[in-house]
Amino acid sequence: MSNDVKTENFRSIGKPVPRKEDHRFLTGNGRYLDDIEIPGALHACFLRTPFAHARILSIDTEGAQKAPGVVAVVTGRDLAEWTTPLRLAPPIEGLHPTGMTTLPIEKILFNGDPVACVVATDRYLAEDAAEMVFVDYEPLEPVASIESALAEGAPLIDESLPSNLVSHQIFSAGDPKGAIARADRTVECFFSQGRQTHVPIETRGCAAVWDEGRQHLTFHIGTQVPHPLRTQLAGRLKLSESQVTVVSPDVGGGFGQKIALYREELTVAALARHLKRPVRWREDRMENLLAASHAREDVVRTRAAVTNDGRVLGLEMEITEDFGAYCFYPANYIARVVAMILTGPYCIQDYAFDVKAVLTNKCGNGPMRAPMSITSWVMEGTMDAIARELNLDPIEVRRINMLKSEDYPYRMATGEVLEDITPRETMETVLEAIGYEDFRRRQAEDWAHSVYRGLGLCVVVEPTTYGSAFYKSAGIPGSGHESAWVRIEPSGAVNASVGLMGTGQGYETPLSQAVAEGLGVDPAQVTLHLGNTDIAPYGMGSRGARGGTAGGSTLYLAARDAQTKVLAIAANMLNLNTPGELRLVDGRVERQTGGKWDDVDLTLTDVARQAYLDPTNLPEGMEPGLEFHKSFDPPPMTYSNASHLCEVTVDPETGRTMIERYIIAEDCGTVLNSIVVEGQQHGATALGISGTLYEEVYYDESGQNLTGSLADYLLPTACEIPNFEIIPMHTPNRRGPAGIKGMAEGGVMGAIGAVSNAINDALAPFGVVAETQPFTPQRIRDLVRGKNPSG
Amino acid sequence: MDGSGKISIALKVNGDSHEVMVAPRKLLSDVLREDLRLTGTHVGCEQGVCGACTVLVDGRPARSCLTFAVQMDGLNITTIEGFNREDGYSPLQQALHEEHGLQCGFCTPGIITTFEAYLVENPDPTEAEVREALSGNLCRCTGYQNIVKGILKAARVMRGGSSGEAVAQ
Repeated sequence: MSNDVKTENFRSIGKPVPRKEDHRFLTGNGRYLDDIEIPGALHACFLRTPFAHARILSIDTEGAQKAPGVVAVVTGRDLAEWTTPLRLAPPIEGLHPTGMTTLPIEKILFNGDPVACVVATDRYLAEDAAEMVFVDYEPLEPVASIESALAEGAPLIDESLPSNLVSHQIFSAGDPKGAIARADRTVECFFSQGRQTHVPIETRGCAAVWDEGRQHLTFHIGTQVPHPLRTQLAGRLKLSESQVTVVSPDVGGGFGQKIALYREELTVAALARHLKRPVRWREDRMENLLAASHAREDVVRTRAAVTNDGRVLGLEMEITEDFGAYCFYPANYIARVVAMILTGPYCIQDYAFDVKAVLTNKCGNGPMRAPMSITSWVMEGTMDAIARELNLDPIEVRRINMLKSEDYPYRMATGEVLEDITPRETMETVLEAIGYEDFRRRQAEDWAHSVYRGLGLCVVVEPTTYGSAFYKSAGIPGSGHESAWVRIEPSGAVNASVGLMGTGQGYETPLSQAVAEGLGVDPAQVTLHLGNTDIAPYGMGSRGARGGTAGGSTLYLAARDAQTKVLAIAANMLNLNTPGELRLVDGRVERQTGGKWDDVDLTLTDVARQAYLDPTNLPEGMEPGLEFHKSFDPPPMTYSNASHLCEVTVDPETGRTMIERYIIAEDCGTVLNSIVVEGQQHGATALGISGTLYEEVYYDESGQNLTGSLADYLLPTACEIPNFEIIPMHTPNRRGPAGIKGMAEGGVMGAIGAVSNAINDALAPFGVVAETQPFTPQRIRDLVRGKNPSG
Repeated sequence: MDGSGKISIALKVNGDSHEVMVAPRKLLSDVLREDLRLTGTHVGCEQGVCGACTVLVDGRPARSCLTFAVQMDGLNITTIEGFNREDGYSPLQQALHEEHGLQCGFCTPGIITTFEAYLVENPDPTEAEVREALSGNLCRCTGYQNIVKGILKAARVMRGGSSGEAVAQ
């Protein structure tokens, strides 16, 4: 895509337009899954196993079948007749194929695994009856950690595999071993990120309505990816895509949890078809915490070969992710991205990685907002460690190694190409904003008074909008394209759709702005239709920070096509030979004469009326109507960047971390709507802070999940999250239409690194390094207990 | 009580009187949503932690997911729908809109009901006080900053200070 983006001329894109969807949400008129009224719908409830690992010997459903209100009780054997198993076998070297049935038949694999489904006339009765299903288990030895999964003779989670190491890949570029050999020092680091889960405030749920006469399934579900979900659902029900409509209502948060087709959802769909009655399910919070999808839990080691002045000659990285029991995604998918982009803004060509994913008796992992979130902490934590070991200033170590603006486009050791990013500029900006020298003075003064203040910097290079070419080169099946249509109705009303589905970001407003910009109307005139597969074009949906770059760009291009035809008709109506001197502004045609734009008293409505209702007067050969479809495959990867700077105090007596100040300078290209972008920056950064300090899914040694309520799985409240100071430093992306870059995940990456580095800076007088997240008060206390601070 | 074990109760919701037959174990949140079709009250955890289901009972915030409907016989309940005006937003709704104090909107009704009550009793709160009062409502999308800004702005408007914005939308 060539670059002729003149972003300064944008009239709609970039404006802080308050969100269209707010009105229904503020008045209690949002329509979430459970708000949809479906007469006669039955309610499903899943019986979940209390064991971590066990063979199913028998399931006695007889008592439950007779319970009041019960219509059906089904198990994995029933579902196997109505559905096909999931088989995941992409041709990726080092990745073992995996599979699963719709509900377990032989074995349960984690605490919370569903073993039976009860369908009754109301939810209370379904839950009553679920307690009357009796399952006889033969408990097996649980595997509750990476170490036990990889231990000699460990019980196999998936008995068709040779070991629990489900995926293993290595890579080397340049000569990292040689770099270590010729280095002055080798600095080794360890990083461990806790197991987390997404916790959308609206849990999962779905409602399936089977039309026996038309042999058609309507499936209501809050999903980020309506079309890919429909393809999966139809396939596994042995239906064609023509027989399934997926409709996503308003969604109360997703964060990556609402992408996969889960087993409960497939069960509900199969039951509606089997019973020929509507069936609905709403997950409760305990189910959501135990059994929806987990994320993260990875351990990383780095070895950096450095010179005494802090230059990095080479880098080795090993990452192992605890992927849980079930693979809804290829197990290499997340950790491999960490490895591919690790070196970020630094000039490191001698680089090797080793990426492992292991199966354990835990809920399966999936992508969670910034799946690769650990990346920036690992790289920036390594930079800080180099500074610590060499007694250098951590900022100087970054300056020595960081790419300069003239180095871009820059091909990383892994082949990834960075361009149009500004890490140095954002870094210097946040340092200036805090007054770096002044901070070091304050810090030294406070140390003298036993106040432990620390500053953490994290320079983020955020991969966004994974294009088809990236998937192919990373060996991950999938496409990165997006599709959109724009239709101008006979009245001049503008409707548009795209394959994305929002989960709270507020797509309807910024995407309207993209359409408005491309066409030349007011954004208020554009209505977006999202989430219904009968209406939306086949696109890949929402994930990987692609809403703006893939969705916004595709809509913008479709709207540009629309404008071209509108102006061609307008030129014909004005008896001009060419539309070259016409433009559309706020739905009115303007003509340029002598460098000045004049209104010619012709509106979009006039043009639309002719296109639909008077087609014989259209220019010769032109088709009637104003409907436009566009597909767009973004570049392999679109990078954004930011620098996060966090100031903390850590109380060694209590282990409590207080965030005193938080500054972000971000470059995410052309911003569609500054209000929405800032909201995403806040939310992403808060989620990163939360994972660093509070959140952890905790399994004990027997594989029991001890975090089954929001009183156990801690989310921060308004008292724990600070105010963020944001400095926008956006520069356009020259490889995409309208200059858009992705965003909304980098905040997570930045927070994890900045908060961690700040805590370790604060703890420096104690000579300890916090490595295992979350950095709860207990963990900090364990580190400093018995240690005496030295100046 | 009828043969199904249901009990007849009188619920006064948003000023309207309803007589409903409910099982004694049925939660207020479910009765509001299912029997009265007031679906603006959202259920986020059924454990009393997240605050999404907050309604006012005789003017005081309460978790409707931890309350049996039968306990509410004769009491005045206000849900999010009770704050809607024919002529536009309340100052709190308006300020949350202007400050982008909501994203997915699922926690929003619980926040509005909580703070419509709170701001009556605490017309001039500090930011720290607002954050403390907001700590009973979990939000996964916003990082809270804009919610807090919106609440403080609403407080200013309700005190008669100028926000510079008209309340009508």
